[in-house]
Amino acid sequence: MDFTIRAATLEDCKDISRMILELAEHEKVSDQIKITQRDLEQDGFSKNPFFHGIIAEVPEHFKSRDGHTKVGYSLYFYTYSSWKGRAVYMEDLYVMPEFRGKGIGKALMAKVSQLGLAAGCTQLNFTVLDWNKSSLDFYRKQGCWDVTADLGYHCMRCEGDALEHLAQGDL
Amino acid sequence: MKFTICPAKPEDCKDIERMIMELAVYEKMPDQVKISHKELERDGFGPNPFYQCVVAEVPEEHMSKDGHTKVGYALFFYTYSTWKGRTVFMEDLYVMPEYRGKGIGKALMATVAKVAKEQHCVRLQFSVLDWNKPSLDFYLAKGAEDLTAKEGWHFLRFHGIALDNLAQEAP
Repeated sequence: MDFTIRAATLEDCKDISRMILELAEHEKVSDQIKITQRDLEQDGFSKNPFFHGIIAEVPEHFKSRDGHTKVGYSLYFYTYSSWKGRAVYMEDLYVMPEFRGKGIGKALMAKVSQLGLAAGCTQLNFTVLDWNKSSLDFYRKQGCWDVTADLGYHCMRCEGDALEHLAQGDL
Repeated sequence: MKFTICPAKPEDCKDIERMIMELAVYEKMPDQVKISHKELERDGFGPNPFYQCVVAEVPEEHMSKDGHTKVGYALFFYTYSTWKGRTVFMEDLYVMPEYRGKGIGKALMATVAKVAKEQHCVRLQFSVLDWNKPSLDFYLAKGAEDLTAKEGWHFLRFHGIALDNLAQEAP
């Protein structure tokens, strides 16, 4: 199947928002989505964007059952390793179920890698839930390694009241 | 003990490099540090920095055994959650051993949290090695959650040849 991978534009935010929700449903956490299409537009397409996006698009005659031609996306941003320098973090990688198995996911991820290398990055990092066997298998097949399993790094987070108290210095 | 927390300047990069190595030694991976103050200077100061950094400094009369007054740092950058929006990732938090227990680590982290709140970030994220009990206790006491233990998130990474191979498949 023909598809193209290109940089996301402001107009794509509606479809990205739709697919973010589809991915959240797959990860069983759709009630957690707090951002809107407008947040994506402001945060991804301003002078100092918080993220970059790429879109996978199919021609009209291959559109989805619901009439969509934008069938996958990856959202990424640049980060920094104090040991290795510039790095890229892939926040989301998603392909609509009816378009899987056609190389689209791999093409999206390859594009993020290519863009990262061009920007001088030496790592592509991301996270996966340990029960998500199909994704883990997909990634391992491409040659990545599990930093948490191999080195013991745990993902930690402060949010809500904990973040408020931390910022106010009262602990 | 009096101390100040200030945004890092390019001339701080030699001290930051020194402390990055001290932290890597503590994490038992000193051979993994590949960047120097040159990359830190190039990547942290300019129109599109890859990271932000704050440095803790003590007055001359409290300088370290080795003659340093820059005794701690926190290195962080902005990231994005497609569920919740703007977030901050704290890559490093470090205080020289002879200056611990004086509130410097807490003040550094509070500064990062304050900057995060000013930029309307809703999360502060970071990683900790599973055997690093003093750090885990420090963070959990401040209301951080261990997402690896709680939800099963794993960090995955592509680097080296695997990253090159992946990038070559980009359309």
